[in-house]
Parts: sequence; C-alpha cells; structure tokens
Amino acid sequence: MTDPAAEALVSGFAHADAGQLAPNGLPEGPAEPGTPDGGEVSVVTSGWRLSLREFMSNRLAVIGVAVLVFFILFSFAGPIVDPTNQSLANPALSDNPPTGTHIFGYNDQGFDEVGAMMRGGQTSFEIGALAAAMAIVVGTLYGAVSGLAGGIVDTIMMRIVDVGLSLPYLLVILVLATKFNSNVLEIAGILAAFSWLVPARLVRGEVLTLRERDFVWAARVMGARQSRLVFKHLIPNALSVTIVNVTFLIADSILALAYLGFLGFGLSYPQTSWGDMLANALQYLNSGYWWLVYPVGACLVIVVLAFNLVGDGLRDALDVRLRRR
Amino acid sequence: MIAYIVRRVLVAIVITFFVTLVTYLMLHIIAPSPAYTVLGPKATHASVAAFNRAHGFDKPVLVQFWNYFTGLVLHFNWGFSYKLDQSVWSLFKEDFGRSAYLTIAGLVLAILIAIPLGIFQAIRRNSALDYSMTTLNFVLYSMPSFFLGLILIQVFALDLNVFPADVSDNITTWVQALTHVRQMFLPIITLAAINVASFSRYMRSSALDALAQDYIRLARAKGLSERLVLTRHLVRNAILPMITLIGLSVPALIAGNLLIEVLFNIQGLGNLFFIALGNEDYQILLAYTLFGAFLTVIGNLMADIAMTFADPRIRLD
Repeated sequence: MTDPAAEALVSGFAHADAGQLAPNGLPEGPAEPGTPDGGEVSVVTSGWRLSLREFMSNRLAVIGVAVLVFFILFSFAGPIVDPTNQSLANPALSDNPPTGTHIFGYNDQGFDEVGAMMRGGQTSFEIGALAAAMAIVVGTLYGAVSGLAGGIVDTIMMRIVDVGLSLPYLLVILVLATKFNSNVLEIAGILAAFSWLVPARLVRGEVLTLRERDFVWAARVMGARQSRLVFKHLIPNALSVTIVNVTFLIADSILALAYLGFLGFGLSYPQTSWGDMLANALQYLNSGYWWLVYPVGACLVIVVLAFNLVGDGLRDALDVRLRRR
Repeated sequence: MIAYIVRRVLVAIVITFFVTLVTYLMLHIIAPSPAYTVLGPKATHASVAAFNRAHGFDKPVLVQFWNYFTGLVLHFNWGFSYKLDQSVWSLFKEDFGRSAYLTIAGLVLAILIAIPLGIFQAIRRNSALDYSMTTLNFVLYSMPSFFLGLILIQVFALDLNVFPADVSDNITTWVQALTHVRQMFLPIITLAAINVASFSRYMRSSALDALAQDYIRLARAKGLSERLVLTRHLVRNAILPMITLIGLSVPALIAGNLLIEVLFNIQGLGNLFFIALGNEDYQILLAYTLFGAFLTVIGNLMADIAMTFADPRIRLD
C-alpha cells in the first residue's frame, strides 16, 4: 500500500503537469472534483456558476427574464410612477379611445386602461407566485417523503397523486371557485391545491435515483435521521427539478387565473386580473374598442410566454445531462 | 402482456373508484344538499328536512356516496338536476354529440397538422422556417384558447365576415353540427391551433431524437431514397411518443372544450357545466367532473396499452 501523503503529492504533480503527463498515469483513488481529464488546468467552476453561464448564453431565456422584470416593474412600480384614477368611476370618460397621454384609452368605468392593466398585472403576478410557492413546497416535501419512504407508503402516496391528477384541473377549480371568496389568497390556494401533484411526482422520481447515491448512504451510515436526509440531502439535490417546475407552475397559474376570470369566477370587484379585464372587454368586440381587448391580451400572452421561455432555459441550464461541453 | 394489461385495467378501476369518492366528498363539503336550490332560500327547516329525507340527503355521507356509486355503475344513473328537473344523463345525451364533434374534429385536425409539421421542422432544423414555426408554437402554447378564439372572431367574423362568430341555435342535434361546418369552423380551428402548439413541439423533439439514431443512418447508407427513410423509418418511430401525449391530453381537451363552447356559444357539455356553475347546480357539476375524470383515466389507460402494442421495445413479462 502506498503512502497516502506521497500519493497526494504525486497526484498534485500530475495535475500540475497534466499537459505533459499521460492522463492514465494518474494514481488511483477518488478523483478530485474538477480534475481535468488530461488537458489544460482550468479554474474549478461550481455547478451553479456553470448553470448560470449556460442560462445566460440562451438568448431567448435572457429576453424572457428581461420581459418579466419589465412587467413586474410595470405592475408594481408603474402605479407609483404614473398614478391614475383607479377608484372613482368617471362616466364621462367611459370607453374613451386612446389619447397621447393615455395610450390605451379608458375602460367602461372611465379608468385609465394602462393603470387597470397595472392592477391586473399585480394580481396576476401575486396569484401566480403564491400558488406556485404553495404548490412547490407541498409537492417537494410530499415527493421527497414518498420517494425516501419507498415500499407500500410510496405506493399509496403516489396512487393518491394519480387520483388527484385524474381530476380535470379546470373543472375542479371552477367548482371550488363557486364557494370560495374571490380574493388573491383563496384563489391562489385553490390553484395550488391541484397543482402540487406534478412537482410531487417529479421530485419523487428524482429522489428515487438520489437515495441510492453514495452521499446519501454515507449520511445514513453516519446516523442521519430521515428528516435530515430529506432537508439536507434530497431536497437540495432535487432543487434543479424544483426550480424549473416553479416557472412553469407560475405560467400555468396565471393562465388558470385568466380562465377563471374569463368564465366570471375571477377576483371580485374592485380587484381585477387580466382575465377579468378580457372577459369584460368581450362585449366591446363588436363596438371596435380594440384598446380594451388587445393590450391586456398581449400582456397575458407575453408574460406567460416569458415564463415558459425562462423555464425552458432553466431546464437546459440545470440539466447536467443536456449541458453542452 | 395480457397480465400487464389486466393489472393496468385493475389499477385504473381502483383509481376510478377513489376519484369518484374524492369528487363526491369534495362536492358534498361544498354543497351538502340541493334542498335550498330546490325549495328556495326562504324554505323552512322542516321542509328542508323533509326534502333531505325524501331524497336520501339525510343519510351519512358515505352511504350517500355508496348509493350514488352503485347507481352510477349498475344503472348508469348520473344523478338528477333538480334545477333543470331532468336527469343528468338525459342532459348529457342531448349535448354529448356536439362536444364530441368539436373535440374530436379539433384533435384530429391538430394531429394531422402537428405530425407533418414537427417532422418537417426536425428535418429542416435551425432553418428560418423552423425558427418561425417554433416561435409561433411558443406563442400559441402561451395563449389562452379564448383569447385566440377572440382574435379569430375579430378577424374572420367581424372584419372579413366569412365565418359566423357564434354557433346559432338552429344546430340542435349533433348531426346538424356535422352539416353546418361553416358555423363550427372557427371553434374547431381554435381548438386545433392550441393543440398543434403543444403536439408539434413534442413531435419535433421526438423526430430529432429519431433522426440521430443509427437505423436512420443505416437506412440512408444502404441507399434508401430519402422519402422511404422518412416514411418507413422516421415517421413510424417518431410518432410513438404522440400516443402517450394524446392519451394524456384529455384534461386539456376538456378545458379547451369548455372555454371554446362558452366563447362561441355552442350548446355542448362544457356550456352545460358553465351554466350549472352559475346555477349552483351541483348535481351537474359532480357528474361532469366525474365524466371528465373517467375520460382522463381512460385516456391514460389507452395510452399505456396502445404503447405496449405499438412499441416492440416494450417487453412485459
């Protein structure tokens, strides 16, 4: 048996001179992370930084982020920068066409349409983020516990997910929306109640492969409790799946909110969402009040599109198997 | 294989049972008894109690569920809409054809467009056409179906006046829906376009995967014409994932059907559900939610079973 210290020294030399030394001349033993396969020596880059670089090289995803930043600022900072009357109905201005300072005119209440779009954007982002956050927390925990437990517990927990996924999403949230109050929190809760199932299934699948890895076994051997395994080892390592899923969850929740609004089960007055505004504008299609229909519809499509682009970019960036070398 | 199919069907039956249970309990918590909808909000406690006793709504909830479930399984009894004073099944029968026509026509059209489109994009990948189709698909994928329908109404019904904006009342049977294609044109196109967006994305990546396989290279190497390579080798392999995708698309189809029927005023199941939402007619809501859930379970089941026949690589012992 060779002296470990000498071995480390040799391997150190081997790294330094990797350009000259044959790579297969490296001593045996666990390879250091970042050891070059036998090329030039490069700075060790962490996985997250690599992912970030990968993400930044995806032009569409970066545009998506920029669009989202713009719309979040538009919705939340917009009313401060450009305050408009959004509380006192003004019949004189009702449905007035766009002017130079009010580029999308006025809605039926006589409110500035751009200001209404900002308010609609706030609720859309709030509900999207809240619903996704609730769904991802529940789904991740559920999936991690199910995957780690295995056996009959896993089977039962996953059959429950199967049952939940068999319920037609839109129909169920509509049925629930008839009885719940139409505020941000309760609508987000209804959406989350049926959207944690997909992340649960994804995380469970990830945990099934993770729990057989050496580092999890090592943690077990050291006597880590189940809760420590879940929170310190499984969930952090399943994070890439989770992060990607969150963006899609937000996109889906914003769409679902629009469906609820369109069918008349959106937020109650005076709160509004983009779907509510579209539903309201439907009756003006014949009158040619385009400024009440297309700007808000475009906001909805662009924001959902941006979330989908970011989600795709994140998936490509975080999935090591897809990473370009 | 037989053993697998039998086991898969049994699992589906168990899931169906629990889906029914969960849906029933959920609806029961929301609306325990239709007494007030029937008797009016000012009904006395005594008359409500009498109504509940007469219609079995005073029994424990699990007993009520069991009665509903056995009625459904043995007598195909989907419940009774007290609001419309009609059995839910007779309402379903009336509207089913129109919904089925809309959904199946939209689905078939979507498949017929998406498969060639996805393969074409994969062959010409990274061309200007591929990029523009991918962009269009992305936009359609992110677009609520009712907004797309709204744009189509604006362009084709209001501006160009070539198709009607909604489906008129004279389509009372689904046979008439078949003969009045012009009226159903915009709804079917809307539903198809939304589905093309998601189908062709998968089709493109599935065709890309297939194109990189050795059997395609072999087929080309042995001098097969490009047309035969595509039709015999590429298409048959690339469409396999579509089977699963179509099987899993049932909930999306139900949602699309609902939104489009409401937008175009088609008297189908989606519209029946929508009206029941406003009426708080929970018997219809329960029945249609269950109906959708059953279709979802069947869709998954069919996809799994079809896959075992279509994909010779799947060996089940």
